[in-house]
Amino acid sequence: MAVETMTVEVAEASARGLVAIGAGLAVGMAGLATAIAQYGIGTAAVGATAENKDIFGLVLVLTVIPETIVIFGLVVALLLLF
Amino acid sequence: MFNTRPMSKLLVVASKDQLDGIVRELYRHHVFHIEDFVETEEEGYEGVKIGMPLPQASAVSTELLRIRAIVSAFGGAPSDVVPERKESVSALSARIDAELPQIEAEVSELIDRRNHLESAIRECETKISELEPFVPVQVDLSLLRGYEQFSVLAGHIPAKVELPVPAETYFSGDVSGNLLIAIVPNERLNEAEQFLFEAGFQSVPVPGEEGLAKDRIAWYTQEISRLRAEMEKIDELVTARKDRHQAFLVACDELLTAEAERAEAPLRFATTDTTFVAEGWVPSENVEALTAALRSVTNGRVFIAEQDFDPVNDNVPIEFDNPDFSKPTEMLMDVYSRPQYAELDPTLFLAIVFPVFFGFILGDVGYGLVLLALSFGLRRIITGDAGAKLLKVIRNASVSSIIFGLLFSEFLGFALPWEPIGINRHLSIGGEVHGHGPDVVLMLVLSAWAGILHITLGRLIHIRNARRMYKPGKHQNKVVFGQAGWILVMWGILFALWSMFELPLMPSFTGLSPIIAGMNIATLLGAVMLIVGIVAIGQENSLELLELPTVMSHTLSYARLAAVGISSVAIAMVVNYIAIGMMIEPAMQDLSLMGVIFIIAGLIVFLLGHTLNTALGLLGGGLHSIRLHYVEFFTKFYLGRGKKYDPFGMIRKFTED
Repeated sequence: MAVETMTVEVAEASARGLVAIGAGLAVGMAGLATAIAQYGIGTAAVGATAENKDIFGLVLVLTVIPETIVIFGLVVALLLLF
Repeated sequence: MFNTRPMSKLLVVASKDQLDGIVRELYRHHVFHIEDFVETEEEGYEGVKIGMPLPQASAVSTELLRIRAIVSAFGGAPSDVVPERKESVSALSARIDAELPQIEAEVSELIDRRNHLESAIRECETKISELEPFVPVQVDLSLLRGYEQFSVLAGHIPAKVELPVPAETYFSGDVSGNLLIAIVPNERLNEAEQFLFEAGFQSVPVPGEEGLAKDRIAWYTQEISRLRAEMEKIDELVTARKDRHQAFLVACDELLTAEAERAEAPLRFATTDTTFVAEGWVPSENVEALTAALRSVTNGRVFIAEQDFDPVNDNVPIEFDNPDFSKPTEMLMDVYSRPQYAELDPTLFLAIVFPVFFGFILGDVGYGLVLLALSFGLRRIITGDAGAKLLKVIRNASVSSIIFGLLFSEFLGFALPWEPIGINRHLSIGGEVHGHGPDVVLMLVLSAWAGILHITLGRLIHIRNARRMYKPGKHQNKVVFGQAGWILVMWGILFALWSMFELPLMPSFTGLSPIIAGMNIATLLGAVMLIVGIVAIGQENSLELLELPTVMSHTLSYARLAAVGISSVAIAMVVNYIAIGMMIEPAMQDLSLMGVIFIIAGLIVFLLGHTLNTALGLLGGGLHSIRLHYVEFFTKFYLGRGKKYDPFGMIRKFTED
């Protein structure tokens, strides 16, 4: 039955839908990966800053390093969508 | 501009009887960064010791302690006192002797009374908590004690029990934990206690009160409120005293802090039996004035010499030397680390590029105006040096945001009445299509260009630093070639890409005719650059080759400029669509009570959404731009860890000579 109702328009629409799902997955999963990475670094960074607040700048740098992952996800998503 | 302020190393030697005058003069000039003397066993340092504090040190410290005790008793931080007029030092010293003891006595009397009331209140509260279990007992409490033949057991118990001994018992389940009172003959006391212990009995003392527990609690509660009222009166008196004396106290604090710092300065000097040696750093432009002043105060009985120093290995204190425009950005540098003396100070680059990146991410006239207003409005609330600088950084960034907003034709996610100039970031949300959709590829390519140029600049600065900081020779050459290698690798990859693909806004060499194996001249050039670059990196340090992928990842990391920006536009447009397209507009067409509610709800969504997006934009735009500097740019050349220039002396706010 699915085969009978599958017109060109339906196929195109579902292809667009799959692209959107792909874009969502790209951002979402990359975001999760970044979150997991930043979770560990961030905890340690806050602890270290509490001990010695001079190293705030350094630990900020270390904490934001994994951010690149989600940016790549976002870029992939944008390229998929537009 | 690209160097920090030039410093000179001064050596001041004089006999000890000049110590007080010289310390006073150094303190007044506020330019001498003392290099602390550390006692060593090395040859040539025999008999040289850390100096003793000046004789007035302990008296001054005691006085300072007294003042700080009063200030802390007042509970006010002196930092929030705005100086109205400056007190002269001599008048102030006289006032300290005359007025301080009296103020101290007043304050300590008030504080004593307050403490007394506090402990009285606490006592009442204890009494109340002791009485509480006995509230259900409708007997005079004095009847529960004072027997010779009987013992009274009172306490909490999980459930009602029957004692196995002859006893008068009372049980109530009305209080938490229940209450059991048992009066047993003394000779059966042990037996009763054993039984109750097994039943989970927790004894509470019988209060030494007369009358019903409920009445006593009422009395104590009243007593507490009376004491509280009295305490409030004392608090008012304290506040009145505080208002009256605060200006005097902060001035005293400042005067005595200065005095104490001066008195303790010799602890940082090297001394022998008769002389002392003070070593320190002075901005080169101040050397002459300071030398002249020291000579005049000692009538020439001082030896001052400018010493040679190694700008790379000596830990020279760092004071920024920037044009006014980039001064506020020093704050962002301090968060990371101050530059070293010999290396290039990148503050100016940061001051120019940071707002550009910020504006590119948050290019919206509306948000820019909001942030601009905030950066001016918060000036009263956020005081302090770093805070004021941060606000100026935000001001510059928001101006850039407004300029980019005009180019992008954006106002809170709406289009301005003209087409975007150059780059279109308008999305098709809610079916409204503006033009051909956002120029994502164009923006990504622009971001990549920003990355390529930024990183190349970083590598070039590293080469410049290496030539300044290392002696000409093998090591310097290695570093210079290594950095040149990194540049070659990056541009080699670019040449290879340009010869294979046509990319917007980038040169294209695809049209060139192939020479060997389908590769044209640009491909070959790129390959050669790549290989030479890798060799150059490897000769500096073969482990660095592991870092090769960062050529790609760091450049691509600049894609955040495009990506974060478009997400911010998307949020703004979604907020607009929900608030206006889905709530306000349909309600306007057919106005009813429900419609009015919908309009109000729409306005709330609009406000909340844009407030959230402003905060996100500030965080996203600021954090991502600064991160690109800290992580991608600074790691290419910046050493940092410079010592902050902290001259001996203070900026006086409340006192003057």
